[in-house]
Amino acid sequence: MFISLWEFFYGNFFRYWMKWILRQMTGKCELQRIFDTCVGAQRTHRIENSLTYSKNKVLQEATHVMQSEVDKCIEDIMKEKNINPEKDSSFKICMKACLLQISGYKQLYVDVENERKKPYDSDNLQHEKLLLKLWHLLMPKNKLKARISKQWADIGFQGDDPKTDFRGMGILGLINLVYFSENYTTAAHQILSRSNHPKLGYSYAIVGINLTEMAYSLLKSEALKFYLYNFVPGIPTMEHFHQFYCYLVYEFDKFWFEEEPESIMYFNLYREKFHEKIKRLLLDSNVALTLKI
Amino acid sequence: MGLLSILRKLKSAPDQEVRILLLGLDNAGKTTLLKQLASEDISHITPTQGFNIKSVQSQGFKLNVWDIGGQRKIRPYWRNYFENTDILIYVIDSADRKRFEETGQELAELLEEEKLSCVPVLIFANKQDLLTAAPASEIAEGLNLHTIRDRVWQIQSCSALTGEGVQDGMNWVCKNVNAKKK
Repeated sequence: MFISLWEFFYGNFFRYWMKWILRQMTGKCELQRIFDTCVGAQRTHRIENSLTYSKNKVLQEATHVMQSEVDKCIEDIMKEKNINPEKDSSFKICMKACLLQISGYKQLYVDVENERKKPYDSDNLQHEKLLLKLWHLLMPKNKLKARISKQWADIGFQGDDPKTDFRGMGILGLINLVYFSENYTTAAHQILSRSNHPKLGYSYAIVGINLTEMAYSLLKSEALKFYLYNFVPGIPTMEHFHQFYCYLVYEFDKFWFEEEPESIMYFNLYREKFHEKIKRLLLDSNVALTLKI
Repeated sequence: MGLLSILRKLKSAPDQEVRILLLGLDNAGKTTLLKQLASEDISHITPTQGFNIKSVQSQGFKLNVWDIGGQRKIRPYWRNYFENTDILIYVIDSADRKRFEETGQELAELLEEEKLSCVPVLIFANKQDLLTAAPASEIAEGLNLHTIRDRVWQIQSCSALTGEGVQDGMNWVCKNVNAKKK
């Protein structure tokens, strides 16, 4: 009750009085003060909040700015806020970096969502090629005897045609699987062979698709903001999303064998535990998750 | 809420708990059905490793629904979940004709299981939203359902995706919860 009252007064009155007082004292607007005091993801995050909650239309819309219009947008902001480019020469550079990160995150979600919405299509030659590529990357020594084959189970698909396993993750699931196998081939082979463990084993491809879902939902809920703002100085791209996926695959495998679950039937329990662990790590504004092999 | 309805609420017995087992081949639509029953988003579904469980309130019952993954590799684990099952729901992908034989065999084996003896079985002929889906009557014939004599059974056509037919099936479930022959 008190908290919501405070939030109401703070959001509607105190915030603006405080900003006005500080402005008079320092001669700088809120954006400039953030650049003076914060660095890294924290800086971008606070700039984003300041813009989002601004009553000024130019500032509000800046969080959605297109890459090609960033320079003009910054000029407009400087005009609105009476920022003198000669007095504060770094403002332009700092603001540009922040805006590219902020609007880039939103664009990345749109791009990822587009791939996810494309179902796997056996009539699409590119999809088929990608699927066969996954086989060759993971099983370089074993030939796939037919497109529809029980062999697919060897790399952890459920039945004899993987197409039905992509489901809600669409072609994004396959792209992720191929990316990891191609860029971390040795690790992929190790994890695949570990996943055939008689007692602790799991289905490699299916678990991979489940982890695509985890990466996707973290991106969607904006939980990846600190991570991407720290990790990528400019515009985050699909490549960075795939990198995060690779981190999840590698870490999940480690987590699974450390926890020693009773059987694969407990997968969802440990998946949730792992999910919570990752969410906790992502809450830290200094977060840096890198795949160390 | 009026005084009367509060009193009525206090008087009514707590919901009877019902254990429902959801089985079928992989890609039959079990998880979609489970999420549809729980009114959850069905657009991000991934293959089930292990199982999912959800509780749904319906017609004075608390339905505890166990959705077990259908992939061949984990079918041997199905039997770990048989105990105390009140209703078996078996889901079939009506459009996947190539696997009718496989799904029929799995169902026949389930019906032989001692721990599932006399447990009422509802068969969902799922994916009726697809043009290529076989009608429920054809599936019933193909699986020789009419030869089932040791329990009550029902086949219901449905689409877990659109929700059509799902409620009809669940109405049958609630009516037959206590039909388990002891």
